Amino acid sequence: MIGGIYALIASGFTLILGVIQVFNFAQGQFYMLGAFVAIAAVTNLGLPYPVAILVALLATALLGAVLYFGVIQWTTRSGFFNTMLVTVAFGTVVAQAAMLSFGSREAVLPPVVSGTISVGGVTIPNGKLVVIAGAVVVMAALHYFMKTRIGVSMLAAAENRDVASLQGINPKRVFWVTMAVGCGLCGVAGALVAPVLAASGTMGSTIFIKALLVVLVGGTGSMSGALLAAFVVGIAESFAFHFFGHLGLLVIFVLVAILIFFRPGGLLGKPLPVPGE
Amino acid sequence: MSRPLTTTTNTSDIAKRVLLAVICAVVLALPWLVGPYSLQLFILTMTYGMLGLSFAFTIRVGLPRFDSAAWWGIGAYTTAILMTKADMSFWLTVPIAGLVSMAVGYVVYRVAIPRGMMVFLMFGLVIALAIQQLFGSVEFFGGWGGTEVMKPPAIGGLVFDGKRELYYLGLSFLVVNLVCYYALMHSRIGRSWNAIGQSLKLASSVGIDVVRYRMANVLISNFFLALTGSFYMAFSLVAVPATFGLHKSLNVIMYVVIGGIAYSLAGPLVGALILAFVPEYMRVASEYESIITAVVIILVVIFLPGGILGWVNKQAKPWFIKVDWTKLLGRAKKPPGPPGSQ
Repeated sequence: MIGGIYALIASGFTLILGVIQVFNFAQGQFYMLGAFVAIAAVTNLGLPYPVAILVALLATALLGAVLYFGVIQWTTRSGFFNTMLVTVAFGTVVAQAAMLSFGSREAVLPPVVSGTISVGGVTIPNGKLVVIAGAVVVMAALHYFMKTRIGVSMLAAAENRDVASLQGINPKRVFWVTMAVGCGLCGVAGALVAPVLAASGTMGSTIFIKALLVVLVGGTGSMSGALLAAFVVGIAESFAFHFFGHLGLLVIFVLVAILIFFRPGGLLGKPLPVPGE
Repeated sequence: MSRPLTTTTNTSDIAKRVLLAVICAVVLALPWLVGPYSLQLFILTMTYGMLGLSFAFTIRVGLPRFDSAAWWGIGAYTTAILMTKADMSFWLTVPIAGLVSMAVGYVVYRVAIPRGMMVFLMFGLVIALAIQQLFGSVEFFGGWGGTEVMKPPAIGGLVFDGKRELYYLGLSFLVVNLVCYYALMHSRIGRSWNAIGQSLKLASSVGIDVVRYRMANVLISNFFLALTGSFYMAFSLVAVPATFGLHKSLNVIMYVVIGGIAYSLAGPLVGALILAFVPEYMRVASEYESIITAVVIILVVIFLPGGILGWVNKQAKPWFIKVDWTKLLGRAKKPPGPPGSQ
């Protein structure tokens, strides 16, 4: 279940890093915001859950575009590092604002579907199946989106920015759309987990780091790598948590370090692009 | 702008010495000028300034580290564990903390550094989280409640338990740190580091072993981070995992950027000073404090990409044209710049 969420966040992150070359730190905060927006839409506005997911998607995508136009547009000139720092600050603003407006206590949606299903002796709650199904649908939608005109121009800009703009692709348009899509993916992820996990103000930063692990394992620039790695990391994490408790993260980290040592590019894909090197 | 060298060297030298002397006098006399609460803030400023120095040190070779607080914590915990479990003296634990941090760092970065900046960065983030988990969930380290040290450090009859004594202890740590970094920056190896920071490809093409030089840089930075951790134990006397989380590493980066990322010696100190005192005096409401800080960071990055010192330097030039400010503040000849700016 958590693997699907990792896949969404990691592919959003990879997309932004690959196309705009921005290390988006606010990714985890967008995830948290998505969960809170979905909860607010269901409990305060009385919207049905699928509509709430759409609302969360639109809200976070809009905020992603705001982040691009308001901030990132002005800082890319002053370098990769400064831009990264600005996304950290923006994430802090989002997290604090969410904390102030939604309260600092944990919130949870009532489960959308109840009951469990038994597959080959393993019992899975139906709620988690919904999350998995939602993640698969979104990944499929992303796959088709990348085949459209704007999706292809995003890939072109990731490949070579200058050549892409010579071909008549407007980089600014591509960039803000990328930002919106990348952040919207996180929002959807947040909205999907809202009925299963409790939403809290601190849920963002931990999941972001785990999504980074997924990116390390899968290799950037490779959507299928991110997908594969997300499920590998998700499953490995469940086992590690079961056997080592809170030290699970450390164990996963050691395993990832060993993997990176032997396969610098991750499972699939090439070594990470390094701006300026 | 060209300036005649023969006539200005003297004026510049005198101005430099006067400025340095004034700063030294103020810093030395500080415990008798301000109250205990401000003094506490100054001690914190020195701690954070030292963390910032170590960050600025690795940024010189183009490696932004997000795990400063983790190694700081390793230093603090090494000191705490050795003092409580092995009953060692504080002074003995300081170098041991540095060496532990270097040894662990070598193992971790052996994997990360050859893979380039991006992997280094992500590893840093994961380490920042993993080390905190390690301290929190292993009983040996005292769990989430932390480890407490009962006795403050002492040398002969002098016990470092008052604010003034601790201030001078911190000052001596800071001076050692500054002197070592200054000496390293201006040695042969420092010039190689600068070359790596300016252009990785050029540096490796003139025969600099980038991986080894970067490793040396990061390990030295690790050593001093752990030393800062030991000092932190001396004045806080308790190590809690929550102190050494990712948010602290991010704060450290903010000190450096606010101060001016190109000024690797003065920048972190100025940034830490500003971020320690300004929120104190414009205490609006604690909920809004972090929002305001974050917005200020965004504005500084957009409007003052050179940080406070970069701005001051630009403003001061017309008046102090004869003073070579850039060299005094420890600025590289050509700012190495954040990675990716080339």
